[in-house]
Amino acid sequence: MQMTVLAISLVVMALISLVFIGAIRSGGRAQAPGSVERRRLALILAMLAVGIVVTIASLRPWPQAVAMTADTPTINVTGGQWYWEIDNTELPQGVPVIFNAHTEDVTHGFGVMNDVGRLLFQVQVMPGYVNQVQYVFDTPGEYTVVCLEYCGVAHHAMITDFTVVTNQGGDDNG
Amino acid sequence: MAEARYAPQTAMVKFTMILVGVVLILMMTFGLIMRLNQSGMIEIDPILFYEILTAHGAGMVGTAGLTGAAIMWYFMGRYVPLVGAVYAIFLGLFLLGVVLILGAIFVGGYAGAWTFLYPLPAMSGGLWSGGAAAIFLLGYISIGVGFLLMHLEVGRQLIRAYGGVGGALAWPLIFGKGKPEDAPPASVIAAMASTIFNVLGIVVGAAVLVASIVNLLVPGFAVNALLAKNMIYIFGHIFINAAIYMAVIAVYEIVPEYTGKPWRASRVFAISWSVILLFVVIIYPHHLLQDVAMPAWALVMGQIISYLSGIPLLAVTAFSLLVYLRAGPVKWDLASALLVLGVAGWTVGVVPAVLDGMIMVNRVMHNTQWVPGHFHIYLLLGVVAMGFGFMAWLVRDARTAGFGTLDRLGVGVFLTGGAGFTLMFLISGAMSIPRRWADHAPEWQPQAVIASGFAVLTILGALLIVVLYLRGLTARKRA
Ligand SMILES: [Cu+2]
Repeated sequence: MQMTVLAISLVVMALISLVFIGAIRSGGRAQAPGSVERRRLALILAMLAVGIVVTIASLRPWPQAVAMTADTPTINVTGGQWYWEIDNTELPQGVPVIFNAHTEDVTHGFGVMNDVGRLLFQVQVMPGYVNQVQYVFDTPGEYTVVCLEYCGVAHHAMITDFTVVTNQGGDDNG
Repeated sequence: MAEARYAPQTAMVKFTMILVGVVLILMMTFGLIMRLNQSGMIEIDPILFYEILTAHGAGMVGTAGLTGAAIMWYFMGRYVPLVGAVYAIFLGLFLLGVVLILGAIFVGGYAGAWTFLYPLPAMSGGLWSGGAAAIFLLGYISIGVGFLLMHLEVGRQLIRAYGGVGGALAWPLIFGKGKPEDAPPASVIAAMASTIFNVLGIVVGAAVLVASIVNLLVPGFAVNALLAKNMIYIFGHIFINAAIYMAVIAVYEIVPEYTGKPWRASRVFAISWSVILLFVVIIYPHHLLQDVAMPAWALVMGQIISYLSGIPLLAVTAFSLLVYLRAGPVKWDLASALLVLGVAGWTVGVVPAVLDGMIMVNRVMHNTQWVPGHFHIYLLLGVVAMGFGFMAWLVRDARTAGFGTLDRLGVGVFLTGGAGFTLMFLISGAMSIPRRWADHAPEWQPQAVIASGFAVLTILGALLIVVLYLRGLTARKRA
């Protein structure tokens, strides 16, 4: 996901830069002014069309959906200045897992990275709320929890980990 | 370019831009220190790091706002008789705020970031006192009151001169009742819209600032954290956008002097500014996409408006500028080059911003270095470039005509540094490196090393441009 987003960004940013460079280089003798408003309208309509398609495609399914059933493993995560507490550090592979994130003090950001440091998901952890996030871990192994909302002077040291273990058909981890 | 009836208050504005130049260089140096610490090349205490982070954020946002305000005040001074004392009070309150904020940070140890996210100011883990946090927030209130007065004066005069809010926003033109020739100048429309939404944002900001101060003094007084966060981001988002939208007035007013064609307020132009006015106010939930306690409709709205607000920018300001550049020969000099760079940087920066405004992308990009990546593009290569362009234009009479070697060097070094520096943020964000971390893991340090090199270039380019401005201020007028 991240590298695709980076690639799309760089391509579109480069295109816009090239359009500006082209206009600067044109030296002011490049075009017939008659069609300007038509092309402006075409640009607006094209952006709207792209927007509608991308919006629908990116919101279905709802990216923050949490579907709880009776046997969904549920993990309680508590953040505080400056530590994480997780009530179960061996999570099952291949099934939806729900995290209930609480804070003891200020707002924190519950972020989970895989073993190569790629961020998989995150959710804000806010005083007075239990924030739920759902994820399916496809690969067994070590995962790192980091804080992604600035929470004071040891914010960068709020790191812990948990393990995802191969699921042998049981769902008694919850 | 359009018929100027009054004389702008040049001296105070020129003085403001000296302040802007000096503070920008200082704050950029703070940024460099943070990147150097993340790279492992220097080592500072995390407490000092987060103090610098707080000062850099508050200082840069404040300077961007000051830049926009100075530009708007200067050019509105062409069309309406503004009371100079109001600007003097605005500047005084701004400087008072700066003193309070710097004192709270470097004397009181406040390091709760410029966003003062409730309840962090009151819960520092023993690092700073409630008093230091309160002084920091009072500094904001001082600056906010100054902006409010400045906007009320601009708004009052525009309303009087153009027949009400609707007149200044060219609504008759939108509804087909007026001729484009009778519409207010493009920059008046921009100033009226910016004034309305910035006043709104500052009022919301003042409410949450007061609530936070009461919470510091009376710990039993609790605020709903989600409500406070909503208010903080309404305020923060509007304030920084107002800075950009006010700064772009420099483009509307100055570029026509170089192309010989006035920046006409067409119907599409008028519509898009009224649309911007609405979008800027309702877009802010795109800062809260990871707050699952928010109603889903608000987050969907955040994503959709975040995309839609790119359209008026691209289709109106950027598109029109491109048309001007292609339609007539532009006299290139330091001012015109920086102003065109400002619009280009702003437009380019919208791309990673819009992508981050998508919920599914935000889930893995939010609060990584992708975020400072996108806003540094449109602040550093957008607002700062526009501010620098305005500065160069202010002293144009005292400078050699044309695009001299030092001018080219300044723009080239600033652009190279800025582009490389912001690109490293985007790449680092895509590699999941968190933002606002004092210490970086060894595998993240090379990115910070490269970014530090580009930061040095950015500062050198900026320094040269500021020095050229100061030299222009002291030089005698060209015959
Ligand atoms: Cu934290």
